[in-house]
Amino acid sequence: MIEHGPLLERLLEGEFICSITDEHSFHKLQNDELVNDLNHFLRPLNRRVAKNDDGSVYFLAYCDLTQNARQHLSHQFASTVQSLLPMLEWMQLVQEALGRDGALNAGDTIKLQDFESKVVDNQSLIHRLAHLANDRVFKSSSDKPDMQIKQVFKRIKEMGYLHQPHKDRLFYIVTGKVEQLIELVRFIKDEENLPIDDATPEQEAMF
Amino acid sequence: MSQVSKPKSLAQSNPLFELGKERLELIGKHADALMQGYLEGQVNELAFSQQALQKLLDSRILFYPEEQSLSLRPIVNELIASLTRDERKRQINTDVGEHLDQIDTRVQSLQAARKKGDYAASEHHMQLLTERVNDMTGQFGDAIESLWHRLNTEFGFVSSLDDKILEIELAQRQLRRILDGFGIINFDDLIQLAGSDGALRKLLVSQLQARISEHSGSLLEVQKRLVLLMARFRQQQDRALLINRMAAFLRQHPNFQIGDYPNRSQVPEVINQAHGISAQAFIALDRAQDSYTLAELARTVPREPEQVSQSDKQTEGFVIAVQSLVATQQKQLAKDVEDFFIQVIESPEALSGVDYLFEQALPWEPEMWLFQIVAEYQGLPEQNKQSFILEKDSAQKSRFNQLHIIQDVTVGMRFFGDFQAAG
Repeated sequence: MIEHGPLLERLLEGEFICSITDEHSFHKLQNDELVNDLNHFLRPLNRRVAKNDDGSVYFLAYCDLTQNARQHLSHQFASTVQSLLPMLEWMQLVQEALGRDGALNAGDTIKLQDFESKVVDNQSLIHRLAHLANDRVFKSSSDKPDMQIKQVFKRIKEMGYLHQPHKDRLFYIVTGKVEQLIELVRFIKDEENLPIDDATPEQEAMF
Repeated sequence: MSQVSKPKSLAQSNPLFELGKERLELIGKHADALMQGYLEGQVNELAFSQQALQKLLDSRILFYPEEQSLSLRPIVNELIASLTRDERKRQINTDVGEHLDQIDTRVQSLQAARKKGDYAASEHHMQLLTERVNDMTGQFGDAIESLWHRLNTEFGFVSSLDDKILEIELAQRQLRRILDGFGIINFDDLIQLAGSDGALRKLLVSQLQARISEHSGSLLEVQKRLVLLMARFRQQQDRALLINRMAAFLRQHPNFQIGDYPNRSQVPEVINQAHGISAQAFIALDRAQDSYTLAELARTVPREPEQVSQSDKQTEGFVIAVQSLVATQQKQLAKDVEDFFIQVIESPEALSGVDYLFEQALPWEPEMWLFQIVAEYQGLPEQNKQSFILEKDSAQKSRFNQLHIIQDVTVGMRFFGDFQAAG
């Protein structure tokens, strides 16, 4: 158990472990026996190792939904919901600016410089970026696109959706946590019976 | 050629342009031999150098049909036929039914010629029949190969996801058509047609059957891949749509309230994410075996001249403390070395670094101390360096390598170029 100390600590701190952020640990966690051992250890802390639908990301969940646990969940869920639209808009923005084929997936790479050069070439993207950066989730006070981009990406990295392999290079990889977010979006759609299945995707109307 | 080099037209910048031109030229270059092959039904390998032959095979102009001699690809036959209006060989319709009818007719003519004992005519019919069968299987082969190729590039030539999905649907239709074509081939009829003629049986039954089953095998693979790709593309499309539509919905309904999932009796898995616990630990003096280590730690804690308020210390945590500790130590070390150099300047004779260290009872490791002296000396401006003499007293670590360990350094002032070493 001793050798899994650092991994346990990171899980306890609330990190999401995927093949992008930590391939070695991610492979470890695919071993059910180890997960059982970890769960045994985590039980007094009311925690267990959980994974998302397709097993692309591991994190800790509560075993018993005590009042205390629910309070934390409410708090966390509220902040996730608050950042939901900005995150979706960010994903759209990246996809469009980089001319990507489909939506962002875990493992996709984003070079900030490429993104920036595409955005500044296009008035509508500049507007949308500014609108996004102003959101209370990103809280950018700058009116310069390059600063706005840096701030937005920095915040998204803090939220755990992006991984920056080199501290000094503005080069990001989308993490498995994004899969969890998409799963949540799908869940909300089904759960709330949102009438968005047959709607035609509307033109991106700005303001 | 015009004297002025024209700018490249749009078509010429297409990478296909060069390749196509090269291949057309290749046909022109070997026109004699190819036309000979067209008329004879098989190509003479000896007409080409090994290199040229490989080129022709790679360019899909020639191929080796199953157990047969070198032939023109069906499509090249077709090209020559349509260019020369050679109705004898021209295939107006490439579907399998047409092929089968032609085969049937050809076999009739062949048997009629044999009955008459017209050897030359029956040879000719046999040759045409062989070509016809090769053309038919060759076309299947080409169609499957083109499907494979497109699969392997994952329809890379279309950019949007929607187009990729359309491409797959198209490929699936083509695949269906090939399968239907296989269905039309009725081997019972062919067996009857061949009768007791060994050569015919071989051509129309055993060879054809082998080719068709091989093709069916590859088609099955293609089909599997198509289904997989389709699923993947659909998933991607679905994801992109989900993001777009959900974003649009949330924009249109800014006051939309999402359910209070955390307080439901059944909390959905997807939102059950535990909050982070950060593990902290503090100095504890309740274990005797730790006291030495802790005392060591305590001794190295720098005494900050300015009083940082208690609450700041609490929140700063350990990292900052360690960093500032290292920084203060480094400063102190540099200052001590400076004092050493001042001492050297004031002293009439050279000083030993190690002796000074012990005389002054400084807390540094001798190794670190000497290193810092040497570093300080190296860092001096050139003209100041001139006024000092630094001698390293080193010994070889072992007979087996060139590693020298510096045991001491002596630093003295340079007076009139001579060095008065200490006793």
